Amino acid sequence: MKYIEELIRSMEYLAKDERTIFLGQSVKYSGNAIYNTLKSINDSKKIETPVFEEVQMGLSTGLALNGFIPITCYPRFDFLILACNQLVNHLDKMEYMSKGKMKPRVIIRTSIGAKEPLDGGPQHTSDYTEAFKKMLTNVKVVSLGEPEDIFPAFDEALNGKDFHVSMLIENGAFYNDK
Amino acid sequence: MNKQELINFELKVKEAYEAGKIKAPVHLSGNNEDQLIEIFKKVNEDDWVFTGWRNHYHALLHGFDPEELFSLIVEGRSMSINSSERRFYSSSIVAGSIPLALGVAQSIKLKEESNKVWCFIGDMTFETGVFHECYKYSRNFNLPLEFVVEDNNMSTNTPTDETWNKKSKIPDDVHYYKYERNFPHHGTGSWVLF
Repeated sequence: MKYIEELIRSMEYLAKDERTIFLGQSVKYSGNAIYNTLKSINDSKKIETPVFEEVQMGLSTGLALNGFIPITCYPRFDFLILACNQLVNHLDKMEYMSKGKMKPRVIIRTSIGAKEPLDGGPQHTSDYTEAFKKMLTNVKVVSLGEPEDIFPAFDEALNGKDFHVSMLIENGAFYNDK
Repeated sequence: MNKQELINFELKVKEAYEAGKIKAPVHLSGNNEDQLIEIFKKVNEDDWVFTGWRNHYHALLHGFDPEELFSLIVEGRSMSINSSERRFYSSSIVAGSIPLALGVAQSIKLKEESNKVWCFIGDMTFETGVFHECYKYSRNFNLPLEFVVEDNNMSTNTPTDETWNKKSKIPDDVHYYKYERNFPHHGTGSWVLF
C-alpha cells in the first residue's frame, strides 16, 4: 500500500479503540495533509482545538491522565516547537517525577513539510527529529520513512510496553512520492 | 489537618533542611493556613488537585499521609510532589500545571464523571497567556475546573505588580486570596552548608 493509505489504515485502527481521541487543528476541517488521513474517522472521536500548541500538549496529557489515549496532531514540526514546554518539561518528565506512577499514554503525530511542488520555506519545512531525540528521555521518536513502517509504529504506540509516549514523524513529500 | 498541624509540618521540614538532610530546594508554605483550610473544605477526595512548587499544604489537605510526604521531601522531591492515587500533581514550571488540569477537566466532562479539578496558581501565573487561554477554554466549554489564585505579589523575589505595571482583575468565578509569605521563596532564610 502507499504511504497515505497506510496512514489511513493506521488511523482507522486507532479509532477502533474506545480510549482513543484525535485532537489538533484540522482534524475535523480541511487545511493540511494530516486531515486527509482522518476523513473516515467519525467526528465524535475528534476535538478540533484552537491554535494553542502548548496548551494542546498539556490538554492531551491531562486527557491521558484520566484514561484517554490522545492522538495529538501537529501538522508541521515547526508548530510542535511551540509545545516544547509541555512536552519536554512535563510529559517527558512525568514518569520520573511521579516515581513511575504516572505514565499517560500519548501519541504525537507531526510531519516534516514538503518542499515540492511548493516550498513552504524556513518556518514550514523544518526537520527537528535529531534535536527531539536529544531532548527527550521517555518519548519514543520514530521517523516514518517507508509505507511499511507506519502501521507497526502506530500499533506499538497504542500497545507497546516500553514507552508510554510516542512521537511519529511523517514526511509531507512521501504523501505524493511513496 | 488543622492549622497548627500544618505549621508544625513545615517547621519539621525547616529543621531537617537546616540540618542539611534535604539536598534539594524546599518552598515552604506559611501564613495562608486559614485560607487553604477553608478552600479545601470544598475539595472532595476524588477531585484532582494541580499546584506548583509551594505544595506541601495542598498535599496535606488533599489527604497525603504526613510521613509519606515528609519522606518524599527528604528524598529531594518537594518540587514535584505527585500521586496518581491521590490525583495530585505539582509542577515547578510557571503555569505548567494549568494545561494538564484543563485536560483532566475535559476528560471528566467527556466521561460524564461528577468530580472536579482544582488548579492552584500564584499571582504571576495568573497574568500569563497560558492561564488566559486555559481559563477561556474551560469557561467556554463549561469544564469542571476551579482556579484558585494565591496572591503574595511575589514571583521568586520579583513583585508581580511592578513587572506588569498593574495587576489584572480577577474574574468572579476564580477563587482568590491574598497573603504575605513568611518564608523566603525557597529555603528557610538560613544559609545551609551541605
